[in-house]
Amino acid sequence: MLRQPLSADIRLKRRKRLDRAFHCLMLISASLVVIFLLLILGIILGKSLPALKISMITRTPGTGYYLGQEGGILNAIVGSMEITTGATLLALIIALPGVIFLNTYLKKKSAWAELIRLMLDILWGIPSIVYGAFGFLLMLTLHLRASLLAGMVTLALVELPILARSVDETMRLVPSELKEAAFSLGASRWQTATRVVLRQVFPGLITAILIALGRGLGDAASVLFTAGYTDRLTTSLLQPVATLPLAIFFQLNSPFPEVQQRAFASAAILTLMILAISLAARFLGRHLGRHRIK
Amino acid sequence: MKKEGLAARVSGLSAFFPVVLVSAIFLAIFLKALPLLSLKSWSHLIFSSAWQPQKGEFGLWPFIIGTLSVTAVAFLLALPVSLFTALYLAEYAPNRARKMFLPAIDLLAGLPSVIYGMWGMLMVVPLVSKYLAPLFGTSSSGYCLLTAGVVLAVMIMPTIIHVSVEVLGSVPVSLKEAALALGATRFEVVRYVILKKARPGLLAACILGLARAFGETIAVLMVVGNVPEIPRSLFSPAYPIPALLANNYGEMLSIPGYESALNLAALILLLLVIIFSLLARLYLSRLIRRSV
Amino acid sequence: MVDHGRISLKGVNVFYGKNQVLKDISLNIPAHSITVIIGPSGCGKTTLLKCFNRLLDEVEEARVEGEILFDGQNIYAPEVDVTQVRKRMGLLSQKPQVLPMSIYENVAFGPRIHGLQNKKKIDHVVEKYLRLAGLWDEVKARLSEPASRLSIGQQQRLCLARGLAVEPEILLCDEPTSALDPQSSRNVEAQLLRLKENYTIVLVTHILRQARRLADYVAFLYLGELIEFGPASEVLTSPQDPRTRAYITGEIS
Ligand SMILES: Nc1ncnc2c1ncn2[C@@H]1O[C@H](COP(=O)(O)OP(=O)(O)O)[C@@H](O)[C@H]1O
Ligand SMILES: [Mg+2]
Repeated sequence: MLRQPLSADIRLKRRKRLDRAFHCLMLISASLVVIFLLLILGIILGKSLPALKISMITRTPGTGYYLGQEGGILNAIVGSMEITTGATLLALIIALPGVIFLNTYLKKKSAWAELIRLMLDILWGIPSIVYGAFGFLLMLTLHLRASLLAGMVTLALVELPILARSVDETMRLVPSELKEAAFSLGASRWQTATRVVLRQVFPGLITAILIALGRGLGDAASVLFTAGYTDRLTTSLLQPVATLPLAIFFQLNSPFPEVQQRAFASAAILTLMILAISLAARFLGRHLGRHRIK
Repeated sequence: MKKEGLAARVSGLSAFFPVVLVSAIFLAIFLKALPLLSLKSWSHLIFSSAWQPQKGEFGLWPFIIGTLSVTAVAFLLALPVSLFTALYLAEYAPNRARKMFLPAIDLLAGLPSVIYGMWGMLMVVPLVSKYLAPLFGTSSSGYCLLTAGVVLAVMIMPTIIHVSVEVLGSVPVSLKEAALALGATRFEVVRYVILKKARPGLLAACILGLARAFGETIAVLMVVGNVPEIPRSLFSPAYPIPALLANNYGEMLSIPGYESALNLAALILLLLVIIFSLLARLYLSRLIRRSV
Repeated sequence: MVDHGRISLKGVNVFYGKNQVLKDISLNIPAHSITVIIGPSGCGKTTLLKCFNRLLDEVEEARVEGEILFDGQNIYAPEVDVTQVRKRMGLLSQKPQVLPMSIYENVAFGPRIHGLQNKKKIDHVVEKYLRLAGLWDEVKARLSEPASRLSIGQQQRLCLARGLAVEPEILLCDEPTSALDPQSSRNVEAQLLRLKENYTIVLVTHILRQARRLADYVAFLYLGELIEFGPASEVLTSPQDPRTRAYITGEIS
């Protein structure tokens, strides 16, 4: 009886070529993505690190700063930290109890839970410029001026769905046996949620907070009309506040090369801050899980 | 257990907050847009290309087209690269490459949009004005539809890649093995089995990317040119709705109807994004239901 | 002196990373018979099957040493094309994995990718193998429905038909009835018994009674080692090795 050979015939060779061509295409695409990443980081850091002077982070803009005179962007660095920390805390305070409620008081498939998750999805998709517009309208209604407070509230709304959704994701993964075990020890729902479930999701919670923080730090559109801008340090909730993304944006639009240089330097500062946060998220997410039940 | 009851009530309120917030945003913007809607018809406001606030002309058509075309260009550029990359990561890449790649993708996703905008101004704008436009026999300032599309494409790629990799990862290994055992090549497995199985999820990934593209503001604003005309080619400037809002919303101009018109633009953007979120949700949940 | 359709293993070792899961396996699978591989779960039965059609190639951390001869040719030799090997061995997995397409397309998938284009011929092939798998009468009126609508037992027979349509010589079955109800299991078993005339079948199972019903030869695998191999009558009734005896009497499982 004639044995079929185990090596490839002509038709199979053609199929293999197609396979390889496809493989190449994918490699090219993946390399493109890597190249873009390197290009972006390269150009931001390459252009900006040379422009980075220590005075950038130790001084506020002096007189004539926007014409190329002395000064720094300490106002924006501090302002960004103030507004982002505040917004993240606010978002956490608003979102966390709700997420706990969603996962302990409501049944997994209940219509309410579905509705709330759908709304979170929608909120997640709403562009931050629309939050900015909404925050501005809110501000007008409450007779507030553009200020740290108004910017913080608006930014908190932007961060809320990011935070809530990722905490919800981790909480949903908590095995129901764990909750049942706590219930059977006589713990109430709230005790179970705060002492058992929350401890179980703690690493996820920290990661979620850091992700929201990173988003908040980089968001410009929501604070554009609500936070105002100032060359001084902000010391009260009702004063306007400068933020790094806007500092970059404004300085880039300047016709003076010195000022543009500083925009690059500011971009480096912002990028490094974001990098630090995302590395921290990765690191903490990995190392906080000691007390978790796998 | 009074404390318990209070905790339940407070956290219940907090859980309900998203519902309130969505309604509040929608209502606030809708009510502000209403005055203009009572003066002029929807279709006139949407389809008229005359944007002359001083003369009371508030045609939003150039902005709608601007939004749609920037998004479309970005999407067409991002889609193939993202899908191929996701397939590579999910099906072909060695574990080590995947472990390095995914964090890099997330890093790209986490960069602020002003950074992308700056990259666009520094690199893409000169590239387009000096090389690409002359190559196609036109001239361009570089601040145009194509530049914005490229920048936006790079911005939405991480989202599409990330979700797609997750979706592809949910296709059972034994299904791939079944196809391989029939003598299919990897390409045939991908083409006939995996892509088919993962289609709803991949669609959802694309829709999420699109939703992100629609609302992106600062990066686009920085490179798109911001001229309220319907773009004639890839090398002409455009003016998408988010840029319109960013440039004008905060200033309280005393032109009658102006504020209302801007809110109508915001409303249109909001509706677009909500529709896309709902679609993505629909496809994703269908995928989950099917895989159970 | 090589029988047609016979597989022989010579000193096969398999590692997952540093972890060795198959240890120096040497074995001859006789043609036109059912060879049943038994052993407790985790002992490496699935891994052994995946060596035969080189599905282990797809597992990054897996490494195979030794020779697996198919018709006297080492399937791990460099000039051997893996799709050719797989084309000549059908696989029936633990849980039926229907492809995301219609019943008809499922069966036609293999012949199509291997170059069959004529619609009439494909129709013919689909009918032939659905009949061979004992499914034709149940599905002939609904060939264009998605395969996922079939019951799980029907799905497994569809997988059988799909595998047969590629015209393999060997059938590799990995606990093919473990997800099925008793009635469907009987049905699949009956098909396998009918098929052994023309095919060489390697069946993994952890159900001893199934082994008794089907096996011509039995191999007992324990902790990655081949403990005993021989005709079913000998291994299942008078095992030589105490470990085999312990397994058969239900002391280890
Ligand atoms: N992909 C893999 N990576 C690492 N170890 C594996 C992998 N697949 C299986 N193993 C291990 O190899 C051993 C044999 O597995 P398997 O062949 O599936 O056993 P059986 O089919 O007899 O239950 C088990 O200990 C299992 O944990
Ligand atoms: Mg097994």
